Amino acid sequence: MADTLTIHRAGLTTVQDLGRLGRSRFGLPVNGALDQYSARVANILAGNNETAPLLEITALDFSCTPSADVLIAVTGAPAEFTVDGLPQPRWEPVVVRAGETIRIERIRFGVRVYLSVYGSVEAPSFLGSCAPDTILGFGRSLRDHDEIALNTALPRLDHPVFRIPVFRLQVAVPSFGDSWTIDVTDGPDLHEFPDERLFRNEFTVTPQSNHIGLRMSGDVPRRVATGEMLSRGVPVGAVEVPTGDELLVLHRGRGVTAGYPVLAVVTSVGLSALGQARPGHSIRFRRRTVADAVTAYRLQHNSLRALTKRVRTVFSALHVPCPLA
Amino acid sequence: MSIVVADCGDSAVAIKAVGDDPEHNWQLVHTLADAIEAAGIDGLYGAMPTYDALLVEFDCATTDHATIRHTIHQQATRLSKGLERPAAKRFVVPVVYGGEHGPDLPIVAEQLSLSEHEVVELHSGKDLMVRCIGAPVGATMMDGPAFPVPVPRLASPRTSVPPGSVAAAGRQAVICPMRSPGGWPLLGRTPLRVLDLESESLTAYRPGDTFRFMPIAPGQWDEYDGLPLEATDG
Repeated sequence: MADTLTIHRAGLTTVQDLGRLGRSRFGLPVNGALDQYSARVANILAGNNETAPLLEITALDFSCTPSADVLIAVTGAPAEFTVDGLPQPRWEPVVVRAGETIRIERIRFGVRVYLSVYGSVEAPSFLGSCAPDTILGFGRSLRDHDEIALNTALPRLDHPVFRIPVFRLQVAVPSFGDSWTIDVTDGPDLHEFPDERLFRNEFTVTPQSNHIGLRMSGDVPRRVATGEMLSRGVPVGAVEVPTGDELLVLHRGRGVTAGYPVLAVVTSVGLSALGQARPGHSIRFRRRTVADAVTAYRLQHNSLRALTKRVRTVFSALHVPCPLA
Repeated sequence: MSIVVADCGDSAVAIKAVGDDPEHNWQLVHTLADAIEAAGIDGLYGAMPTYDALLVEFDCATTDHATIRHTIHQQATRLSKGLERPAAKRFVVPVVYGGEHGPDLPIVAEQLSLSEHEVVELHSGKDLMVRCIGAPVGATMMDGPAFPVPVPRLASPRTSVPPGSVAAAGRQAVICPMRSPGGWPLLGRTPLRVLDLESESLTAYRPGDTFRFMPIAPGQWDEYDGLPLEATDG
C-alpha cells in the first residue's frame, strides 16, 4: 500500500502547483500557488521539482500524520510549525517519523503556508496542472480525515543533519508583516488616472479578496477619461478601479479578459508578496521600471537555481536521490 | 500595419490594432496571435487575442520584452502582405428559450420593445460569429443578434449561472459553458455539453467560427441532454 498523509485538521488547504500555463486563449486562468516564491522554495527544499504538487494551507490551523518517514519543508507565512509538539524550523528540510503529528498553527503576518513532501503528494492533473480551478470545478480541497497518497517513499534516513542544521542552505526568506510595499510597473492606461493617488496613498485589503483578485479600499485613483473599452486580455497583477470606489488587483485566478482600464501591473516578485496579504493589511504601491522588475525577478530566479544546487549537493552527500529533479 | 505595442508588466506585452476597420483589426490580432505562437519563442506562454487587442504573456527569466517585440514586428510585417484566416466551422446549437432556462427573456423583450417571440426570432435568425473566447473558461464571445438597441446588463449579477446558458448584453451574445457568476441577461439554455474537458484544446470552436441558435421546445431537452457540441458539415 502506498504511504499516505492522514489529515486531522484540514482548515483551508488545497493541493496546488505553479498553475496551468498557456491556456489564456481558452479563457482559462493560470491559477496555482498565490505565493509562487514560497511554493517553489518548499519544493526545492523537499528535493522536488519546483512544479511538484504541494499543500497550500490558508489562514487556518492544519495538522496531519504521515504513515511512513517523510522529509518535508514548510515555507510561506510565519506560523508555529511543530512535530509531536516540538518546534521545527521553517524554510529548512525536516524529517518526520511515521506516526508523528505535524502541526501548522497560528498563521500570521501573511496568510499562506506551503508544505511540500519529498517525492510529492499525489494529485490528479488537468491540462498539465493539479491547481484547483473553481470555474472548472477541478482540484482538491482537503477535508478532515482525508488521506493523501505520497508518490515516492523516502529512503531510510536517520541522519543528524536533518535534526541539527549542519548544512547552511541559506534560503532567502522574504519579510512578512501586516503592511506591504508592492512593486508595480506602469499599466497601459495609467494616463487616464493622472492624480498619482496610486503611488501616494495607502490602501487596505478588504474581506472580498480571494485568489481571483484582492480588493482594496482607500482614497483610490480617479479616472479622467470616460467611455467603455472593448474586452481584452489583462495580465495577472493588473491594477484596476472597476467601480470607482475600490482598487481591484487581479491575481492568478483572474478571468483572462476584462474591460476596465489598467493603471499598473504588479511585478512578478510583488505578486508572491501580494499572495500573502490578508484582509486588514495595508498596501503601498512602489513605481518601478519594467527593466528593474525584470532584473528583480531574474535575481530571484537565479537564487532559486543556486538553492536547488545546494540542496542537491546535500541530498547526494546523504545518498538521497531526488526523484523529481 | 497599424499596431501599437506597449509593455504590460514584467511578463507581458499588449498590442492594439489601431486601423480604421474593426473587422481588419480583429483579423489582424487573431492572425498575429497564431503567428507569434508558431514562431517558437522559448519562454512564451501564449497570445490572447480579443477584438482589437492582443496580450502576449511570457516568462521574463527565459526571454525578454525586446525579443517578444522583435517577433511581433517581424510577424506583423510578414502579415502586412495579407491576412489569411483558417476555414471557419459552423455550429448549430439547440436552445430552450424563456421559462426556467431563460428567466430574463421577458425583461429583455420589454427593454427592446419587442415580443418574446421576436427576441427569439432575432437571436436565432442569423449566424453569429465568435470573436474571441473569454472568461469564464471557453465563453463564446459573439457578435450580437440584430437587436434594435443594446441589451443592458443586469443591475445585480447572478452568483451562479447554469452551464450552457445563452445570454446577451450590449451588442454581444455568449454561451457560458461552465457554471459561473454572470451579469448578462439569460435568454435560454442549451442542453449540449459545450466544452470537451478531455481534449487538449477544450473547445471545438475557435474565433472566426459561427454559431446558429435553433429554438427547441422544453420537452426536447432530453433528446439533446449532454450531447457534445459538434460542428455541422459545410
